[in-house]
Formats: sequence, C-alpha cells, structure tokens
Amino acid sequence: MAVPVNNSSGCWKVPDVHKHHEQQKVCISRPKYREGRRAKAVKVYTINLESRFLMVLGVPAIGVMTELVQLCALYGVVEEYRPLDEYPAEEFTEVYLIKFQKLTSARAAKRNMDEKSFYGGVLHVCYVPEYETVEDTRLKLQDRRGYVMRAARSRAKAAHSEGSASSTTASDINVRHDQTSKKECAEDASNHSQHAEFPPLPLPPWEQHPFGHNSPHGISAQEDKMGTLHDAIINLKQPQVEKLSVNQASERDHDTEHRLTSDQASAFRFLPRSSHLEIRKRRMEEAPEQSASVSGGTETLIGPKLPEPPKLDMNDDSLNTTASLIRNTMKQVGSAPGFKAVEKKTKPRRRI
Amino acid sequence: TDKSYFYTVSSTFEYLCLFHYFFSLSEAKEQVLANLANFAYDPKNMEYLRELQVPDLFLDMLTEENENFVEFGMGGLCNLSMDPGCRDIILENDGISLITNHLSNRREETVLSAVTTLMNLTTPATCSQITEPGIVQCMLRFSLAESPRLRNLASVFLQDCCSQEQVRQAELQMQGVQTAIGIPLPE
Repeated sequence: MAVPVNNSSGCWKVPDVHKHHEQQKVCISRPKYREGRRAKAVKVYTINLESRFLMVLGVPAIGVMTELVQLCALYGVVEEYRPLDEYPAEEFTEVYLIKFQKLTSARAAKRNMDEKSFYGGVLHVCYVPEYETVEDTRLKLQDRRGYVMRAARSRAKAAHSEGSASSTTASDINVRHDQTSKKECAEDASNHSQHAEFPPLPLPPWEQHPFGHNSPHGISAQEDKMGTLHDAIINLKQPQVEKLSVNQASERDHDTEHRLTSDQASAFRFLPRSSHLEIRKRRMEEAPEQSASVSGGTETLIGPKLPEPPKLDMNDDSLNTTASLIRNTMKQVGSAPGFKAVEKKTKPRRRI
Repeated sequence: TDKSYFYTVSSTFEYLCLFHYFFSLSEAKEQVLANLANFAYDPKNMEYLRELQVPDLFLDMLTEENENFVEFGMGGLCNLSMDPGCRDIILENDGISLITNHLSNRREETVLSAVTTLMNLTTPATCSQITEPGIVQCMLRFSLAESPRLRNLASVFLQDCCSQEQVRQAELQMQGVQTAIGIPLPE
C-alpha cells in the first residue's frame, strides 16, 4: 500500500479497476427485521468513499451519451463528462465518467440511477474518488466537517431553547417523531401496515423502571403530546407496582425515589446498559429479602396482582421465534449469578 | 391494542436501541456493525449513538481479529469523529494510538478511514500527538503511494495538519532511520 513509486505514470495509463467499483454481492442472510425495500450489500460508507466523480458502467454502446448526460443533469450541474474508453467494459457497453459540481448531486444521481435500466441496459453507478485531485479531496472533507459541525451546533441550540421553554431536555428527534407520527396517525389511523418508515417491531423486553436520576445523560421524561396507548399502559402499570412495593418494602430508601420519578410521568425512556445491570443486581439482592418477608408459604397477597406480561403475536413465525428468543435470553441473563454493577465513571468497554 | 402499542415506538432512536441490543446477541454482528457505522454518517443520530456508547464499541472493534470488524469499526469512527462531541469521547478513550496502529492495515479502506479519523481528531491539544514524527513519516510514504486516494488524503494531512517545518524534519529523518508506522507486515 505504501510502496513508493516514481510518479512517472502518464496520462495514457489504463485506469485501474478498483475493488470498490465492483458491485458487491447482495447480502442474503439479513434477518427480516432489518430488510429494507431494496436488496443491498454490507458496506460502510464514509466520506472517503464518496465523491463528486461518478462512473457509470453498463451504458449500451448505441450512442446515447447525450441522453445519459441529460439524465445525470436531472440531479445537479454536471461539470464534466467523458467516456472512459480505456476502462475494461462488458461487451457492447460503454463506461462514462461524470463529474458533478456538488457531492450531494452525485449522491442523488447514484442513488437514483444505480441498477436502473437505461436503453435496454442496466446501469451500475459508483463513486470514483480516485479521479479527485488533492484539492477536491480537501474541499470534500472540509464541506463534510462543516456540515456536521453546523448540525451539531443547531442541535445544541435547539436543545437549549427547548430546555428553557419547557424545562425538559427532550431531543429534537423525539419531537420530530412525535409530530410526524401525529400526522400519520391522523391520516392513516386504521391502516397500520403502511404507517412507519420501518417495519413494525416490538422492543426487546427491558425494564420500565424510572431510574431517571441514574441516567448520566439526561434524556428526561418527555411530555406526551399524543396521549399514546404506549404511555397509557405504563401509567396503568405503575400505580400497581408502586402499591405493591409500598406495602412490602416501604422502609427501603430508594422507594421514595421511585415515587418521585414516577410522579414526573415517565414516557418511554432508554436506560444505558450500565443502569440496567445495576437495577438487575439490586433486584437480585432484594429478592431473598422479599421472599423472607412474605413469610413462607401462606401467601396472603394483598392488593391487585401485577398484570401478566402480554403475549406478542407478530403475525410471522420467524418474528415470533425471534421475540421468544429475546425473551428467553433476557430471562437467562437476568437470572445469571455474579452480575457486577458497573459504575458509569469507569466506563466499561463492552465486549461482544 | 397490543399492536398499536408497537406502532407507537417506532422512532429512529428506538430502532437504534434495537440494533444495539441485537448486536450483543446475534451472529449478524458484521451486518449490524455496518448498519451502526452507516447510521453514524448522519449527524442527527450522533447524540443517540453517543448515549449508546457506540464510539466505544467502534474502538473495541479495532482490536478484533476479523478484518471486516476492523474496517467497519474504523469506518464508523471516521463518520463519528466529524462530530465534536464524539471526537472528544474517542480522544478520552485513547483512540489515537488504537487508530494509529491500523495505519499499517492491509486494507486500503481501513487505512483511508484511519487517516481521515486522525485528521478529524486534530485539535490544538492533540496536534502534537497526531503529528509526531512517526506519523508524519508514514504520511510522507503514503503521499508517494500508488493509490490516488491514499496519495491525495496523505497530501491533505501533510498540508493541513502539519507545519512545513515538521514535514521537512520528517523528510530529513527518512534519509536515516525510519519508523515502522504504516508499513504492513508480510502476509
């Protein structure tokens, strides 16, 4: 890779066929829950792979260059184009190099033209960053960095203004999701199968305990603007849980914390793995105490029973299997002895 | 009613949670890792990924044997490190040395991601560590490489992150003893 060569490569050199030009095999082992609309390969895109230079392969050799360029121009200003006669092409096809003015145009063109038929052939479009000059590369990186910086700044600003307005630190995406789903719910309340941008899926069974004060990142409870069923379920459950725990263990000190946080009406909230472990450990420590206080086998339970965990039906065998697998694994993990609570300060690396 | 319950939890964040969760169980680590790395391309996911400690996860991948894990992890770092918050997390976790180790990776894509990540990690505080003579020499070698992408990227690094003095020093040193950074081991 780092072999120094004397840079005598002239302009008549045959362009190299790079590995990233190849169309990778479509991934066929993708589980159903991650299947998108189009079959895709497993590939990571970075700014290094992207470029405003595109190569279009598989153009039928019937003199349709003008048409091709017109098609490209739909997605942005084309600065330069030329046929790459030297590039090894399939029989009766041609290869073209297209230079867009902007990276975003190239991105749109690639997305929309790749694998589309064009005068009887199927196009393959890929980025060709090896045609960039040093200056092109520099500008590309600068643009990208600037874009991410601006996004970070506007995110911070949005969070700040929102925080001062409603004294919650809800992130903007949550809000946006709320709005979009509100709209979609109105438009399409009965037909759920077309609802989401993702296929519908249950969440893995995690605890709903509101340990908000433990969360070091502070996604705090967000007010529910939609009155969704989801929150209704939590709110139904929680008073009962509280009653039970008050009856059985009112002397425990963190109980007050429970009530305090649940009073703030917790919406759906993500807990970092470390706090999950902590909760689990605490549960396990409490379990023997509780069984002792229930006094053997008499079992005089006072108050309502906790609701049975709902059985999920995903309308699909493989999804059902996956769901039960997750459930079982969670149970196993939960009951495994020797779990160590991890402190946030030490910031454990997860091994996978 | 159970169903509508599920339909209400389909936000990007919750799906990221799901990905993250599956990552710990499934055999499809590679696919999910690639997915996470691609998620890192979109700045609006940064906060979530940070919260899920995905920067740590990517850094962990750099110590894996599987070359795909390394490539995807480095790609993810390359995407994340554009964001100042994620950049700081990577720096706190001693990312520079982990990344520098992969300048000698045999895969071009991994090396390119590593160079870009190092450029993104350059701040006044880390500049001296990133432009240490070994790395500058490595970039000088890269700038003579056959691959135009590597050549260009290394040139940008030398021009934007290093002072002319540093480059001159490294050129002088390359006449004598060289460091091994960036030279791949034989197969």
